[in-house]
Amino acid sequence: MEATSIPAPRVALELPAWRANLATIAALIARAKNELLRVPGAAIPGVLAPTIFFLGLNGVFGGLIELRGFTTGSYEAFIVPVSMLQGAGFTGAAAGVNLARDIEAGWLDRLLVSPAPRWVLLAGTVLAASIRALIPATFVLAIALLLGAGFPGIDGLLIAYLMVAAMAAVAACWGSFLALRFKSQSAAPLMQAGMMALILTTTAYAPLALLSPWLEKVAKVNPVTDVVEAARQGFVGSVTWADTWPGLLALAGMLAVLGFLALRQMRRTAA
Amino acid sequence: MSQLAVNARVVRALGMRSVRQTFRRPQLIAPIIVFPTLLLAIQTGGASSAVNLPGFPPVESFLQFMLAGAMMQSLMLAGNSGGIALAVDIEMGFTDRLFSAPIPRFAIVLGRLAGTAALGLFAALWFLAIGLIFGASIEAGAAGALLAIVLVTAAALAVGGIGAAIALRTGSASVVQGLFPLVLVVLFLSSAFFPQELMIEPAKTIAQYNPLSFIVEGIREPMISGIDADDTVDAVLAILGIVIVGLLLSDRALRHRLRVG
Amino acid sequence: MAEAIVVAGLERAFGELRAVQGIDLTVEEGEIYAFLGPNGAGKTTTVRMLTTLLLPTGGSARVGGRDVVKEARAVRASIGVALQEAALDPLMTGRELIRLQATLQGLPTAEGRRRADDLLERVDLAGAADRRVGTYSGGMQRRLDLAAALVHEPRVLFLDEPTTGLDPVSRKTIWEEVRALNDDGTTVFLTTQYLEEADQLADDVAIIDSGRIVAEGTPDSLKAEIGHPHLQLHLADGSVPEAETVLAPLGRLLPPKDGKCVEVEVPNGAADIPRVVRALDEAGIAVESLELVRPTLDDVFVAKTGYHLEQESEENEEAAVMDA
Repeated sequence: MEATSIPAPRVALELPAWRANLATIAALIARAKNELLRVPGAAIPGVLAPTIFFLGLNGVFGGLIELRGFTTGSYEAFIVPVSMLQGAGFTGAAAGVNLARDIEAGWLDRLLVSPAPRWVLLAGTVLAASIRALIPATFVLAIALLLGAGFPGIDGLLIAYLMVAAMAAVAACWGSFLALRFKSQSAAPLMQAGMMALILTTTAYAPLALLSPWLEKVAKVNPVTDVVEAARQGFVGSVTWADTWPGLLALAGMLAVLGFLALRQMRRTAA
Repeated sequence: MSQLAVNARVVRALGMRSVRQTFRRPQLIAPIIVFPTLLLAIQTGGASSAVNLPGFPPVESFLQFMLAGAMMQSLMLAGNSGGIALAVDIEMGFTDRLFSAPIPRFAIVLGRLAGTAALGLFAALWFLAIGLIFGASIEAGAAGALLAIVLVTAAALAVGGIGAAIALRTGSASVVQGLFPLVLVVLFLSSAFFPQELMIEPAKTIAQYNPLSFIVEGIREPMISGIDADDTVDAVLAILGIVIVGLLLSDRALRHRLRVG
Repeated sequence: MAEAIVVAGLERAFGELRAVQGIDLTVEEGEIYAFLGPNGAGKTTTVRMLTTLLLPTGGSARVGGRDVVKEARAVRASIGVALQEAALDPLMTGRELIRLQATLQGLPTAEGRRRADDLLERVDLAGAADRRVGTYSGGMQRRLDLAAALVHEPRVLFLDEPTTGLDPVSRKTIWEEVRALNDDGTTVFLTTQYLEEADQLADDVAIIDSGRIVAEGTPDSLKAEIGHPHLQLHLADGSVPEAETVLAPLGRLLPPKDGKCVEVEVPNGAADIPRVVRALDEAGIAVESLELVRPTLDDVFVAKTGYHLEQESEENEEAAVMDA
């Protein structure tokens, strides 16, 4: 093997910081898709799980719709936003598991040793999850529409997707925080169970008035209740700003808190 | 010493190993107990208004209704977990060591099932305790509690047999692990979480013929009304059915494994 | 000449364990500096501190003129790193990986692609560039890791055990590449557990044991320090303890490498051979073969630490296999 000379000059060309950061985020998102496209069958659990839960919940608890208190005649319409959000939670948590795996394999070191800022590395993971979450959401939505849930209108649909993408980002921050804290894939159940508990201790199964007293109290303080209601509006009625802004605020708040925790943990990897 | 006595000792030894293994690692028990408890809390909280539906069986509370379903979920996860443990033994080569020992092949499966049964027993006691703490009484009293415990433990054994068969056939822990979501699917298609008559088609019809429904109802009846001979017999027959299927599958899988090595 | 790396009193403790206990060293620009020591000596911990992956718990270090703690980002922009665990993604292709590295370093896309192609050619991976890294052999993965570390033409290159686990041919290939890089002016800081690697490649060697530097200098100066050659006598089975008793008054005995061989340092070199042979003959000990061995880095290592490096590493590797 012959040595060829390194081209002069020695000083490397570099992009301005903002362009380099964007390019890095895009490259990390592109890498994330390999998991789905290059591992046969890897996409299936993530896509199927929310749909199975949707069909199961509908089959089991669908009779609840007869009770007074529901503003819609279709239990499918009532719970499909919940299933879409569950898919978001699952996808985000899975991003955390992947990060834990990357840490165990030493891959994260490659990213940490580069000049890319820590927030850029986190943004890559989180945004990839947001985009990915749209896939199971679309799948379960399609099934729900086939089963008789009415179309939520363009505005309802867009808001639901926005809630899904943002919830996935929240879940990815949570998963990333745990991955960086414990540096091990054994934290995976906590990532998944945490999101599941968060999303289901809301008005997931029934309106607030029909929940048992303790769950009613929890749902009232759980910020995800507002997210569920915002995602649900188009499916059970019309879209209003009054029903939308609490969900946006809740998501912004959760992203701020969990994003901060995850970023701080990313910065502490050298400690 | 008679052959039967020798075999019994072997099963006992393997059984104790299996039980020790199960309870020595809390992080493995946790999903089997914690996850169903979490789901119990959420579903009881979320769907409790169901008791107001016309046609809902007369119960003290939705919790009283749901306890049997939670136990069912736990015991199925226990069966899955027992299968995983056996698959790990196969992957590690531990079963090869057992196969080359002068012990009956079936002792290996029975020994493993002991751990699953212990976990089933623990689940039954756990949810009975939860029920009592949160105010759900058992209509049939101590006899009802005892019947529930026996049925849950027996069902855990039965499901464990299926898990063991899958483990023996595939020899892969990750395959057995991958069946975990199937547990939820199968439970959704039964009367574990809701009265069968009030479910929505096609789940309703599937639940009507699902053997798991018979088992759940056998566990549930003593809690919400009283011990019913028909329900109990149905539950026992369903369990026996699963036991027989499990035995047949395990036997074939065992032979396959011994042939293939 | 400027100093590429300056380390003063560098320390790292993990709770009670003091992995690195006060290290001082200076690496001149353009040299190859080797850290030699067994597993667990603190080599990787030191490299991780110098590459900003780990914060020191004491002391300081400057790489390329920048402080590793206070100016971490500037340090990262100017160094190339190939870690012990080749941090590769099995699902990516070799080309994708180097392009990703170029993006991480802030290179424009077109430039990154050009350099990726050049580097793949250079490390002889052009043919496998579009195959998944998961299909690469160990040697190929190391070469890829090295290529990725070079994409932004760093001034200082850190290599943590670059040839551990590789076959001799792959090892020589990496050595050639390191020499070529150094010829072009890149400073190389490498850690190794192979004496030959340090001997062959390094301008300066530091021997590290239990978190401390126990010797430092050029390979030649270190060997000269030890000075005396030693006699290696292969004996018939079982007579080693007897032989040691016989030879003890004649020269300094060295720790035995194995059960059939005894080693004794002889102050007068070849002139001492007749005395040694006569003494063994009179004691009735049969000598199968005899060799006059000049000092090697292993001797330096033994002199400074009391044990053989290769043996220690072999034992550690064996232990690792048994534990797996």
